Amino acid sequence: MLIIPAIDIINGECARLTRGDFATKKIYSKNPLAVARQFEKAGADMVHIVDLDGAKLGRPINKKLILKIRNQIKIPLQVGGGIRTVEDAESYLNAGVDRIVIGTQAARDLDFIKKLLSTFGRERIVIGVDIKNGVLAIDGWTKTAQKKYTVFAKELRALGVSEIVCTDIRRDGTLTEPNFTLLEQLQSYGFNVVASGGVSDTAAIEKLSKLKLFGAIIGKALYEKKISLAQAKRSAELSNLTKRIIPCLDVKNGRVVKGVNFKDLKDAGDPVELGKKYSEEGADELVFLDITASKEKRKTVADMVKRIAQNIFIPFTVGGGIRSVREMRILLGNGADKISINTAAVLNPSLIKEGSTAFGAQCIVVAIDAQKINGEYMVLIRGGSEVTKLDVVTWAKTVEKLGAGEILLTSMDRDGTKKGFDIEFLNIVNKAVNIPIIAPSMGNEL
Amino acid sequence: MKIAIIDYGASNLQSVFNALKKIGQTYAVVRKPEELTRFEKVIVPGVGAAGSTMKNLIDSGFAAKIVNLKKPTLWICIGMQILSQFSEENETKCLSVIPGRVKKFSRVLKVPQIGWNKVSFKKTSPLLKNIPDNQFFYFVNSYYLDAPPKYVLATALYGIAFPALVQKGNFYGVQFHPEKSGDSGLQLLRNFCELC
Repeated sequence: MLIIPAIDIINGECARLTRGDFATKKIYSKNPLAVARQFEKAGADMVHIVDLDGAKLGRPINKKLILKIRNQIKIPLQVGGGIRTVEDAESYLNAGVDRIVIGTQAARDLDFIKKLLSTFGRERIVIGVDIKNGVLAIDGWTKTAQKKYTVFAKELRALGVSEIVCTDIRRDGTLTEPNFTLLEQLQSYGFNVVASGGVSDTAAIEKLSKLKLFGAIIGKALYEKKISLAQAKRSAELSNLTKRIIPCLDVKNGRVVKGVNFKDLKDAGDPVELGKKYSEEGADELVFLDITASKEKRKTVADMVKRIAQNIFIPFTVGGGIRSVREMRILLGNGADKISINTAAVLNPSLIKEGSTAFGAQCIVVAIDAQKINGEYMVLIRGGSEVTKLDVVTWAKTVEKLGAGEILLTSMDRDGTKKGFDIEFLNIVNKAVNIPIIAPSMGNEL
Repeated sequence: MKIAIIDYGASNLQSVFNALKKIGQTYAVVRKPEELTRFEKVIVPGVGAAGSTMKNLIDSGFAAKIVNLKKPTLWICIGMQILSQFSEENETKCLSVIPGRVKKFSRVLKVPQIGWNKVSFKKTSPLLKNIPDNQFFYFVNSYYLDAPPKYVLATALYGIAFPALVQKGNFYGVQFHPEKSGDSGLQLLRNFCELC
């Protein structure tokens, strides 16, 4: 969904009204061009400019200024306010304005719209459907046309209009929330709908984006700093990627073990059977950490990986004492999807880079065990028994730079007991890097 | 032998073997392009970067051969991406089977995309038989193939709606990993082996 900041111009200045009432005028900047430049820099998809003097008087008043803005910014521009004749429309469109918004004149004269559509193409002609208590508002919203918006919408559809901006005037400039029902209804006619009025927080933007609206115009919320353009953009760019549920299983001598720390271990079953059970119960991925210390370790791990891969068809990570690219290659060759390294990465950071270069970043998980010492989270190695001088945030950034694809972050006490993190700290690490963080003590991905 | 799995020296093949074994298909690894004639269908698995994948395919002689195949072919992950004309990853010229470019995801979201994403169908295809719409599949990718809608069978959303499945004639591409996507993934592989 496009994020479209608004610039309303009164007497050459950047103003906002509440519910379209000129008496509520508030000036935010004397320099609309500078504002437009800021919006462009902050990543706006398009800028929506309204000549409010023009809307009220029925002819373009601030056109010179608007065309100056057009020449100085590169992103698409949509302009409305006082465009009532084909000549007005032409003067904007031929000067490089991408889309013009027609409100009042559309409500009065459908033939005018028909002419614009055939002359300039329907993607450049946007109809402003401005609604006050169910009927259309015109003349800078100072009057109402005696026409229900549903009737108007059907007429526009019949003409071949595809683009509309819908404003619920009761909500405009009120920092409330958009009229979702109204927007959905208009969208159901088949229009590309841009929402305007009451778009004031990320929740509203996410909801509009989920409705698959074409765009959202944001005005007062930006000027009042209720939301930043970057936040708005982020909320509009949704993904359906789920937060992963990733059980981590400790394995010793080919068996899953459970224990308070690494000393008091109880047998909890066969890794393949347990993995299968977790997979059936909805786990998205599995992590197997081998804590065997014997000489036969490598062979038992390789055999286990092979059996898991033959029986479970979700991704899994294997870790525990892996120190070389050669060992990684054997385990990946046996069907592991990812390799987790911990102590070896701290002692030999270039191993991260070597693994990442050989197999791709998506194969390399760096496990970080952390402990809070004197108020700061420090990195532990050797199963949590040794404190290093690395702080977690710095180390997380380093492993990302070296090519790690994910971080497995565990909070530990000195004796190896895993415990919960404070969520605030997890968020700090999560923001510091751009790769996914899995926090097994939280039960899943951040 | 029914299914050829191309080994061009770059990808992790074991997961694909395991999945085919699980659904009862016969397969063999093929390291020389001239061997392809013995098989009914071809799978190009993929883990890796565009540059090295293309280089390996060209050096091994596969690149010239596979674009002219008339039998059904399934291209997984990086495999699907190299069906394009060009990849921004390592600035790589690709196979030009499907018009379009491979582009990087916006940094607004975490890149690579790793995890289960919802796949929405845009067209019907034997490849999608017995798989419900809006199922989740396992993705690992930093780049996506920006292909014309007429080749797009299904999309997923990661910042933008990007193609999750493409098809042009006998060339089928999947951006996710069907061999790692549980039962729905196995069903897709079964469909390719039995219906395409």
